[in-house]
This record gives sequence, structure tokens and C-alpha cells, in this order.
Amino acid sequence: MKTLTDELRTKIIETLNLEDIRPEDIGETDQLVGGELGLDSIDVLELVVMIEKDYGIRIDNKELGAKVFADLRSLADYIDTHSQGDPH
Amino acid sequence: MTGVRACITGIGLMTPISIGVPETRLALRGAKKRISPISLFTVSPESRLPVGEIGRDFIQAGIPRTHHLALTAAQEAMGQSEGPPDAVVVGVTTGGMLKTEAHFKKGETTPSHFAYHGPGTVGEVLAEKLGCTGPVITVSTACSSGAAAIKIALEMLRTRQAKRVLVGGADALCRLTYYGFRSLQLLDPAGARPFDVNRRGMSLSEGAGMLLLEAGPREAGEDMGEILGAGLSCDAYHPSSPDPEGRGALRAMRAALEDADISPSAIDYVNLHGTGTIDNDRAEARALNGLFGDKMPPVSSVKGAMGHSLAAAGAIEAGIAALSIMDGVVPGTTGCSRPDPQLGLDPVLQPVEADVETVLSNAFGFGGNNASVVIGRGDTGRLKETRETLPSLTVVGSACITGAGDMETSIRAVSEKGMCRGVLPMNELPLNLPSQMVRRWRRLTRMALSLGISAHKDARLPKDPFSIFFATGWGPLSETYGFLERLRFREESFSSPTAFVGSVHNAPAGQMAIHFGSTGPNVTVTGGDYSFEQALMVAGLMIKPYHTPTIVVGADAFHDPLSGIFDRSVIGHEEAADGGGGLCVMGTAHPSGTTIATRFFENSKNNPSILRALIQRLGGPERVRDAYGAVFAGIPGAFTKDGRDQLRTFCREAGFEGPVIDYRRFTGQFASASAVAAALGVRFVQDGKIPQGFAQTDVVGLDGKGVLMVGFGRFITAVEIISGG
Repeated sequence: MKTLTDELRTKIIETLNLEDIRPEDIGETDQLVGGELGLDSIDVLELVVMIEKDYGIRIDNKELGAKVFADLRSLADYIDTHSQGDPH
Repeated sequence: MTGVRACITGIGLMTPISIGVPETRLALRGAKKRISPISLFTVSPESRLPVGEIGRDFIQAGIPRTHHLALTAAQEAMGQSEGPPDAVVVGVTTGGMLKTEAHFKKGETTPSHFAYHGPGTVGEVLAEKLGCTGPVITVSTACSSGAAAIKIALEMLRTRQAKRVLVGGADALCRLTYYGFRSLQLLDPAGARPFDVNRRGMSLSEGAGMLLLEAGPREAGEDMGEILGAGLSCDAYHPSSPDPEGRGALRAMRAALEDADISPSAIDYVNLHGTGTIDNDRAEARALNGLFGDKMPPVSSVKGAMGHSLAAAGAIEAGIAALSIMDGVVPGTTGCSRPDPQLGLDPVLQPVEADVETVLSNAFGFGGNNASVVIGRGDTGRLKETRETLPSLTVVGSACITGAGDMETSIRAVSEKGMCRGVLPMNELPLNLPSQMVRRWRRLTRMALSLGISAHKDARLPKDPFSIFFATGWGPLSETYGFLERLRFREESFSSPTAFVGSVHNAPAGQMAIHFGSTGPNVTVTGGDYSFEQALMVAGLMIKPYHTPTIVVGADAFHDPLSGIFDRSVIGHEEAADGGGGLCVMGTAHPSGTTIATRFFENSKNNPSILRALIQRLGGPERVRDAYGAVFAGIPGAFTKDGRDQLRTFCREAGFEGPVIDYRRFTGQFASASAVAAALGVRFVQDGKIPQGFAQTDVVGLDGKGVLMVGFGRFITAVEIISGG
């Protein structure tokens, strides 16, 4: 589990071009959207594309997205539960 | 002073429910849904969504689909009308993108295949085919483009810049918008259900709507209606989501009613933007409740039947509003079966007969752009007081970016090295914009923000700008390329929503509005090498004394390889260059200020006496010699030979022997080079002299005279910069 959250930290920073944020700045239970990271709805959709491409999981509605992208832990849990084998 | 009416004397419509006006009249009574799974291009089964299409066999060899749609609608609007229009104003977002995508999928990048890529080429084709020798203005404010174009056309008639204007909007389906809206999860898999409790998004579609507007008054019974007024506003809230309270939409509707000089109670029907997205419909419903309260007129959206055709929608629906008045029919809201009780809005579900005199039609878009148009029966409008000429704008601040850097660095570079061309590294752009503010944006938006903020800073005004006008020849190319590359590697279903939102031409202007909180009109125009002249002209048409201050920015970002594929003025020039200019202007006269005004804008095709007309418009040869201490000549690389010939003829016919500065020689070739020239021109007129290295090796005194910027080539434009002191 540790490795998946670390991997996600890096991917979030790269995908969203968060130049001023270091991976360790994103706590497992920090609010992702509307919190100190300054992410909004477009960022969530950008992460949806990244998750689909890199993990083969599609999150195609807002309600589900709000739950999954609540924080890093919920995102990692969702990916862990729904990934079928290792897509890498 | 007598006023001018904007009479609708022709309508042309191409929609998924109808080819032409007669079919549209029937279809509006039927309210059938014409939305089905996409077939125009191949998509993977899991990403196949319903759209509104105008038949796959609607093909014209030689020109892209958008151009073909626009031309077909334009020919219908022109009908039996004698003679060409004086001007063409058209809203377009993606131009020849569908064809561009097909070429990129095949790895084909020969420049000759992309001659019609730019959105501006749609209006150019219309002008050429219809024999219009006047200006061509291309509005690219995303989904409000077609309605915003009508506002500009209306002001052209009111200021007597034209007597007949062909105005409209056109967009074909393409992969960029299809996958872009899909990545934003804004497409309803069941087809659009506007204002329905279960709505989940819009249905993307295609089409064209064109109106021929002629200055009235005219004989009773001759017209198909009248544009009574129109209003623009900007949310200044978010790049792609509407202000949830609908405040921007409300401001646009109020501005339109005020412009038409009528009260909300005069509205018999509101043609809604009503896309079917959760957020649009909620914001629009709130705005309507704010405007009408408990006296809500009948309202409906046609987008459940025909989908959302982006730049075409506002123009198509203005045409539908006119038909609604003529036929006494309020169209139904196809797709809506159970209106969302939370919206407090009760749309007309099935078409009904009603006495309709006056219609309000809405079009809202990305960048928080809102436009509302009021359409009347044709004998109801009051005559508006009109202005006879375009007012001069007083420049209170200026800025530029070139390959050398900001204004000071650029002037020094030309004085010392004879040039300032090049591509400035991103981290050297003037102003260090915080990374959180620009992390989403690539080069063009960053340059535009830098220019807008610098020009405003230079003005040292306490007030933030109310209104933004932005010009770009080619739009955000980095974002466009990102998508085309995914297409080439068959990864289009992983399109980036950020890049899509950033790829629209008006993204930079929307971002400037958010930065400044500019809630007034926000207009982006595009048209290759003549884009900035368009923006200055539109600003002159639109700025009211209370709209102060206003930002006018022109910028283009060099992109390898796209600049060298799309831009004929860049092709063949080894040295890459980009940049832009920004002005902070006031609509009020200011005795000590430097003023800038568009004096001439015509199409040089089929226009043999164009240079004489230019000199005459400027007041004759003597005035040209007396008023201007220097001529800034803009000769785009695509028209080097013609441009030089035109310049020689102009100087000879005007007897002008002062310094002529061919500014692209030191700025390099890029579409918005004239924006750099304008910013420099303002500075030189303010200083009363031209620094060394520009005109001659020495400083040239202007002796209180102004600078005339003349653009040559496909269009001839003249922008006058003079000292008011």
C-alpha cells in the first residue's frame, strides 16, 4: 500500500504540474480538492484520465469522483480494490 | 441624429434537424430529437456517444466541413439579395480542425494541406465567395461566439461602419471537441435532457447559422425581424464552469435588455442556452429567476433536439428566435420529461402556438463568456442614437514581449543590434507569475497574462480593467498539438481535459478576466496576420465611456512544428519568433493622452482601388503627410511581394517621404507582430521621437506628429496613433 500512495503522490504532482509541491507535502488524509493543494474540478478530471490510462480504471461520474478523490488514501484504496492485476 | 435599425433581411440555417429555413420551421413544430451515436469519424465502441450530425455525405471538395456548412447557410441568408455584404462577422471555434485531425492521423504534415486550418479562414472564404471587400471579423469566444458576433455586427451598423453585414456562426463536429467534452464528462450518454431532473450533460453537434443584417428603417413587411439589442459579460469565475449563481448570465441578459431599451416584461419567450449540463442549466435557471422573478415568460431549449453546435449555436438560435416570432410558435424542450424541481423553472416541453413579439436568446461559453441577444418583430424597436465614426481610444498603458524581452529590452536590442526577434524562454517572460496561477497554462496564456498585467501596471490606475479584448492569429498551439499527438498515437480517448480547456482561443482572455475580476465584455478574435487589427476595431465598436479601463492584447506563441505547418507567414523563415503587445485603454477622450484608432480595414481581394480608398479615408494625401511622422508597415511573410508593392504604391500615391519602418524585419514573422508595433508606436508618439536603429541610425523626431500603422497583404488595415496633447 505504501508504494501505491507514494507512486500516486508523484503522479499527481507530475500530471497537474504542481511545481511548488513536494511528494511529502501531500498527506494521506489531506483534502485533495479545494484544500491547500488548490485543486479544482478540472484537476480531478485530469486525474481521472491518468487513472484510466495508468491503472485501467474508469471513474465516469461526478458523485463517484467526489468520493474517490476525497484524499490520497481513498484514491489508493479505490485503485487497489478495482485494479485487475498489474497493468504496468 | 437619426438612428439605425438592424433589420434581419435573410436567414440561413444548417442544423441536425433541418437543412435550410423552411425545414427548420417544420422541424420546430415537430420537436423531434435528432441525436444518434457518432458516425462522422471512427471512435472506439466504449467511447461512442450520441451527437447531432448533418449527414456524413455533406461534403464539398476543397474546403473543410465547417467552411462548407458556413457557406451553405450564408448563401441561403443572402438569398435574392443584390450585391455583397459590406462586412462579414462570424463566430468559429475549430475552423478546419476535422481535416487537420485526419491529416495528422496519417502523419501528413505538408503545409499546403492546412491552408484552411485557422478559424479565420471560414469568414475569408465567405467574403471571397460573396464578393465582400470589407472587413472580416472572426469571433472565437467558445460557445457564445455566434451570439457575440451578432453584438459586433449590430455595433457596426449603429456606427455606420457598414450598411449590410453577414453575421453568424459555424462549427463542424471534430475529434478535438468530441474527446475534449468527453474528458470533461459533459456529454450525456442518453442524449441531452435540458433542465430534466436526470440530465447528465449536453449532446455535441454541428451546424451553421447566418443572418443578413441591413441598416434600417425599411419598408414595413420587408424584414424577417430585427436585432433590438445584445449584451456581453464575463463570469471571471472559472475557465470551464459557469458561476454557480448565474451572475454573469444575469449581467449579459440585463445588458441586452438595456441595449434594446426594453424591460423584462416585454420579453415573450426566452430561448435558453440550455445545454443539458448540470452546471449550465442550474446557473441559467438562477439567472432567469433573478431577472424575471415571478413573472417568468415561456422558456425553452432546442438543444435536446439538435444538440449544441458550439460557435454556431448562438447564431442558429437567433435565427430560430426570428422564426418563432414570424410563425407564432414557442419551440419545445425536447429531451426534458421531468423538469428538475430544484431549478424553479418550468420550461415549455412541447411546441406551442403563442403570440411572440420579442425574444431573448442566450449563449454562454468557456472562459465565462456570456452573450444575450434580443430579437423583435421588426417594427417595434426604438431607433438608437448612433455614433458616426469609431471613437479613438486613449492609451494609458502599454507593454510588449519580443524575443529580446520586455519593452525596454526590445527597444535597446533594436537600437544596438538592429533586431529583437526570437523566442523568449518561458522563465524569462516579463513578470514572474506565481506557479500556482499559471501551472495549467502553456506559453500563449502565460504571455497574454503577462502582457495584460504589464499594460495595466504601466497605466498606474487604481481601477481594475472592466473589459478584455484579445487577439491571436493561431490560438494556443501547445495544447492543440498535445491533442493531435494523442490522436497520432491512437490515444485520443485519454485526451487531457486541462489541455482541451486551454486549447480554446479565448482561454487567455478568460484567464485575464479571472485575474482582474473583469466582468464586462470579453471578446477574442482571430484571423492570422490581421488579428490584432480586428481586436482594436472591435474594441472601438464596443467600448463605452463607463467601460474604463479596458485591456487590449494581441499575442502568438511559436510552436515547433505547428507554426511552421499552419502559418504561411512563418513558413520559409528560418528564424523562430513570437511575442505580442498589450494596451490599457480608456473609452473617454483624454486631452493629454495618446490615442489609437482603427481607420481602415478592407479585404484586398477583388478590390483594385483599395489603396486609394485607404488614402481617402485617412483624409487625403496632404493629411497623411501632415498627420503622420512615420509609417509602420506590416508585411506578413505570406504576402512579401504583394505587400511591398502595396507599400510602394501607398507611399507614392500619398506622397509620403517620411520614415517607413518595416517592423517585421526586427520583430520576426508572427501573426501578432502588429501588437508589438502598436505598443512601440504608442511609446514613440508619447516620447515624440523614434529611437535610433528603428528608422535610421539616428533618433528621428516626430515633431508632434503621429504614427500610422498600415497592414498589407490579404487585408489592408490602418491604425492611427496620435498625440492628443
